[in-house]
Amino acid sequence: MNTLNKNEIENTKSKRSKIIGLSLIFFGFVIYLFFGLGIEGQATFRLSRPTDPFALPNLILPAHSFIGLSALLIAFFGGRIIMKAPKNFTIFVALSFFLAIAAFLVWATAGKSFSLTGMLQATVVRAVPIALAAMAGIMCERVAVINIGIEGMLLAGAFAGALFGSIFGNLIGLVLAILVGGGFGFILAALVVTFRVDQIIAGVAINIFVLGITSFLTSHLLKSNPELNDAPIFKSIDIPFFSEIPVLGSVFFKHNIFVYFSIFIVIVSTYYLFKTAYGLRARAVGEHPKAAETLGISVIRTRFNHVIIGGMIAGFGGAWFTLGSVGRFDEGMTGGRGFIGLAAMIFGRWHPIGALFAALVFGFADSLQQKLAILRTPIPSEFLAMAPYLVTIIVVAGIVGNAKPPQAIGKAYVKEN
Amino acid sequence: MNFKKILKIFSGAFAGLLIMAINSANAFTACQVTDVGGVDDKSFNQTAWKGVQDAVAKHGVESKLLESKAETDYEPHLNSMVSAGCDIIVAVGFMMGEATKNAAEAYPDTKFTIIDFAYAETLANVKGQVSATDQAAFLAGYLSAGVSKTGMVGTFGGINIPPVTAFMDGFAWGVKHYNKVKGTNVQVLGWDPDARDGLFTNNFDSLDDGRAFAQNLYDEGADIVLPVAGPVGLGSASLAAELGSDKLKIIGVDADMTMTDPTRKEVYLTSILKHMDVTTLSVIEEVKSGNFSGGVIVGTLENNGVGLAPYHSLANVVSSELAAEVEELRKGIISGSIVMNK
Repeated sequence: MNTLNKNEIENTKSKRSKIIGLSLIFFGFVIYLFFGLGIEGQATFRLSRPTDPFALPNLILPAHSFIGLSALLIAFFGGRIIMKAPKNFTIFVALSFFLAIAAFLVWATAGKSFSLTGMLQATVVRAVPIALAAMAGIMCERVAVINIGIEGMLLAGAFAGALFGSIFGNLIGLVLAILVGGGFGFILAALVVTFRVDQIIAGVAINIFVLGITSFLTSHLLKSNPELNDAPIFKSIDIPFFSEIPVLGSVFFKHNIFVYFSIFIVIVSTYYLFKTAYGLRARAVGEHPKAAETLGISVIRTRFNHVIIGGMIAGFGGAWFTLGSVGRFDEGMTGGRGFIGLAAMIFGRWHPIGALFAALVFGFADSLQQKLAILRTPIPSEFLAMAPYLVTIIVVAGIVGNAKPPQAIGKAYVKEN
Repeated sequence: MNFKKILKIFSGAFAGLLIMAINSANAFTACQVTDVGGVDDKSFNQTAWKGVQDAVAKHGVESKLLESKAETDYEPHLNSMVSAGCDIIVAVGFMMGEATKNAAEAYPDTKFTIIDFAYAETLANVKGQVSATDQAAFLAGYLSAGVSKTGMVGTFGGINIPPVTAFMDGFAWGVKHYNKVKGTNVQVLGWDPDARDGLFTNNFDSLDDGRAFAQNLYDEGADIVLPVAGPVGLGSASLAAELGSDKLKIIGVDADMTMTDPTRKEVYLTSILKHMDVTTLSVIEEVKSGNFSGGVIVGTLENNGVGLAPYHSLANVVSSELAAEVEELRKGIISGSIVMNK
């Protein structure tokens, strides 16, 4: 009986690798057919700006042979998976994806040029609010509180950042934005932990409330006092030495404090959640609150603390829109980044580093679509604009599949006496 | 004559009296429903509202305002203005075209005017206000091509719709005209007037997009950017303010951005003006004097409905020859001696 099961497992495994291998071969074929056939010229990727200290030569790739080679490699990976049926073929699938994107870029750029460094830098910048929203989500959901209200908290942070930044300067503006975010975190915690309101409804209520109150204050306060909506922006800080590194320096080390702090938050929260006793307790509250309570952990207090911290991170992320980007508030300016952050959180399997990568994928899709629109590919711009959302859907539906949220998520905890 | 009939006549007469009483009690009211950009967008909503406020100051009419938060607000807002007894309803923006048409057909006795829209068939109670913005944008394109040091200028729009792309068309044609006259090869990034496609944020309210898109164009070498996306362009201006106007200049749209965004006035090379306040005021005056008729009113360089703002703080980068050439071009377009799309 046992051996039979083993055989069955082996069979399904080899079946799966056959399917994946065959589809990769087909994928490579399709790439060559669509992008490779009849293409001429070279794709030029500019690596440095005219203002950079060391001018790098451009990366020039002959379009036809590069696309042909990529397609061949993808097909080769497919063949390898079928032949060897390796246990872990994620690396080959990931490499194939990378090659496919590279081939697509070369196809779009053939005979033209664009700034690769600029695109990668934009990727990081555009990922920041999404990554921060995802971090806020992780903090809440790890203690089993669903936070749909992140979008509203971002918006509140953006508004507070613009208003208080205009009055007190950007540093105090930032601190107050974080506190406002934390305040909304407290409200959410009070609603769902103490009063056990349905978590989705509480989050939606926060979104609607913040959208309404910020619109009201914008039209009644900021409109008549434009000096209250003119906050100083945090300028970008070049990290000494590192920012001089070609390409990587521009991509990672020439940003404002929001980018550096986001990376810091990711590292700290990873360490906190997975390497400290407090993090372990928080996760226990998210997985099995009753068990945690029997061990002397206060479920209520843990949930309160983490939802407030999540709110503070969202407030910080919201301040990025005003203090880190444009210096003024406008209604609805967060543009749904909070919801995309939630998708990034799921894509990253409730892990800070995973969520950061997910945010970078979205940022990449976003800056890619801008570049493609400038390059004038035959793809219509409306379709290109869908790319970031399309990537989110594909990733969440296709790749994540069976990612498991914390066990107790969405359930209110009733303490037994 | 039965009782019911008498009641009907009486109630009819009563209702009529009531309406007359309300009408005579109410002063002339001009009402505006804004697009999602909001009335302080430093752009067309604000300019149209200025026209309404001018009417308030000049003729002592009353004004009402409703701001749309989403496209789903258009119809309810228009309907509530109708029931508020407005004499003229100003609908702002191309996006409200469908909603305004529906409201105008449902309430043939209420007069409407819509910014940026001209209906294919004339509605007797709607006056469309359109602007030949491509004429002014043509001048801006020519000017930018002359000022650009990198030989590249960029533009991006909010949504790929005619009132937006008219700016981008004129801009691209102006650059092309400069190249033809001077034998240069200045390039336009972000819009292809022949393929009718280019760079779009697909929204009119995410200021952060304005910054990111301008950064993108700057990375590709553009040193002058024309954002045609309402308040989103303010995000582009904040990038230019950070980089410095020697590296990146912005061309404002709709209103003179030097005036409406004074804290960053040093980055605006010029603005492509749409004087919708002028046309809005004249429509209100038409209604007030009883000369209103359905149709279209077009703002052009000739009737001063569109124009180019003064160069203000960046006047020093515009050589006197270039300024003179732009002025010649303006006259040429008015007289018809210059055909833009050539």
